Amino acid sequence: MRSAFALIQASWRTQRSYRVSIILSILMLGVTVLPVYFVSQALQPYMAPSIANQGQNYFGFLVIGMVALMFVSTTVSSIPDSIGAGIGNGTLEALLATRASIPSLLAGMVGYSFLWTAVKGVLFLALAMALGLHLSFSATLSGLLILALIVLAHVPFALLAASLVLAFRTTASIPSAVMVASGLLGGVYWSMSARVIPHWVQVMSNYVPLAPGLRALRQTLLEGASLSAVMPDVLLLIGFVVMLNALGCLAFVEALRYARRSGTLAQY
Amino acid sequence: MSGIAAHSDARPSGAVTNSATPGGGARDYAVVLEDISKSYPVRRSWGAMLRHPLARPLFPVLRNVSCAVSEGEFFGLLGPNGAGKTTLFKMLATLVLPDAGRATVRGFDVVADSARVREVLAPVIADERSLYWRLTAFENLELFAALQGMRGAAVRTRVDEVLHVVGLSDTAHKIVGAFSSGMKQRLLIARALVAQPRILLLDEPTRSLDPISARTFRAFLREEISGRQGCTVLLATHSADEVMELCDRVAVLDHGRLLATGTTASLARELGEERYALYTRDANHPALATLVQRGVVSALMARGVEDDWTRLEMEMNGGMERAAQIVATLVEQGVPIARFERVPLPLADLIDRIVRRGDAEAGHA
Repeated sequence: MRSAFALIQASWRTQRSYRVSIILSILMLGVTVLPVYFVSQALQPYMAPSIANQGQNYFGFLVIGMVALMFVSTTVSSIPDSIGAGIGNGTLEALLATRASIPSLLAGMVGYSFLWTAVKGVLFLALAMALGLHLSFSATLSGLLILALIVLAHVPFALLAASLVLAFRTTASIPSAVMVASGLLGGVYWSMSARVIPHWVQVMSNYVPLAPGLRALRQTLLEGASLSAVMPDVLLLIGFVVMLNALGCLAFVEALRYARRSGTLAQY
Repeated sequence: MSGIAAHSDARPSGAVTNSATPGGGARDYAVVLEDISKSYPVRRSWGAMLRHPLARPLFPVLRNVSCAVSEGEFFGLLGPNGAGKTTLFKMLATLVLPDAGRATVRGFDVVADSARVREVLAPVIADERSLYWRLTAFENLELFAALQGMRGAAVRTRVDEVLHVVGLSDTAHKIVGAFSSGMKQRLLIARALVAQPRILLLDEPTRSLDPISARTFRAFLREEISGRQGCTVLLATHSADEVMELCDRVAVLDHGRLLATGTTASLARELGEERYALYTRDANHPALATLVQRGVVSALMARGVEDDWTRLEMEMNGGMERAAQIVATLVEQGVPIARFERVPLPLADLIDRIVRRGDAEAGHA
């Protein structure tokens, strides 16, 4: 755990030296939230019926969806990106030669990205609240738990992409595919109810972890639903987490063994 | 193993830890390699891949390498580029898996006990890109101290110590991106030293250092790392100075084969050629020609003139006794001699001869 913390601290020290990047990244949040607000206001009359059980307010619906998508994006891209960069500049080899365990190294390599996403998420929510978003603070803990499950359900895709980077120097577009699938079928921008999308798309969305995650997250944060009220979706998420993580870990361990066997840990 | 290696004075032990030396004395091995082989896949053209999609041609990088390095020994690894030195180091650092054979570090298997191996061994094999360039030298070392399991105030103390040792105390809080290549190289070494390893792997550690820094660094390795700390050091190098100044023994690798191990002097003797320089005013004296005709000396060649004295270099066998006899004969026959001395075989020549002999033996096999 301390190894992970040391790596996160090193990432922070590195990132804080890019001051313009940090300032622009924060400014972009403001630039993003304003159009979202105006577009959602314009579409509110059309979208309200389909999001009746998810807060009824399309602006809130979109903001929660976008914050969750930020975390999904960080999850699926940060691990393969860190591994790729580590291979390219030789830091991965240097890290693997230390006494730190692989899980703590992975956690440390991506920890900063998650913390930064969390900061951006909070700022995004704060800006949205300034524009009229109402959140149920009593459900914050439940919301955080569901968000953690959403992240964990996407870690296997990241591990798979990182495995491909380790073995073949490509992510096979897995992060992009997950982002597109999550954006279109996860219910980020529209409800996945039969009122909005065709039945077959609704069936497909059952296989996208973000869909049940977002349903549960919106019901808790926007409507104040209890954890037990959203338990079916939470259990579905847990199912994704358990099933997919076993596969993701196996793929990563095998890819690392392959890279060690082929001597390519430091060859991009 | 090749014929030359069979004569070497370091042989693998059968056991993981072995206190029996080839000579029979009591001594522990820090590193033992037993029949280590490693091949990498050959990168193929698109055409070759399409024609033979299932073929997996392999390129051997290490072939049945067996060797043992004692605790506290300074061991040099020599050989041309592509000989397999870096692969061998990466294998010991648990970054590359062997295809066959077994390697142990202080008794821990590099495959089965890789975590224990990393507790006692530190490699300096990565290049300077592997440093965190936007962090200061201190921050880089602080990070790696934490990754090596150090905690609290001990981290700061150790980092300060190591920075002092490599001469970077004054620039400890400067970002690494602003460092010269030599400073980055020193920081890489400091990074390896931070965890106080018992075994240090150094892959061409002075390649980016100026001659004075390289000399200082060699003194530091000899006195501090090898002397006071009693570290076992494996050093891959092309530098004759490093080999002569530091190494107790060397091994010569070529195309993945371990061709020889021993001291440089013993290897030169093993190759059966000894070079001498003779300073004379009469380089054309018939007594010299007679020695050549009788095959007593060979490769007789003038190598410059100093104050009217011609330096003649020659090769002869038989050691010092034989050399003394030849000098006496020449003096008796009236050859004016100002100086007669043994010429150490240049490292490059030694490696070249070992490699050529290994090639010849491989050809026979």
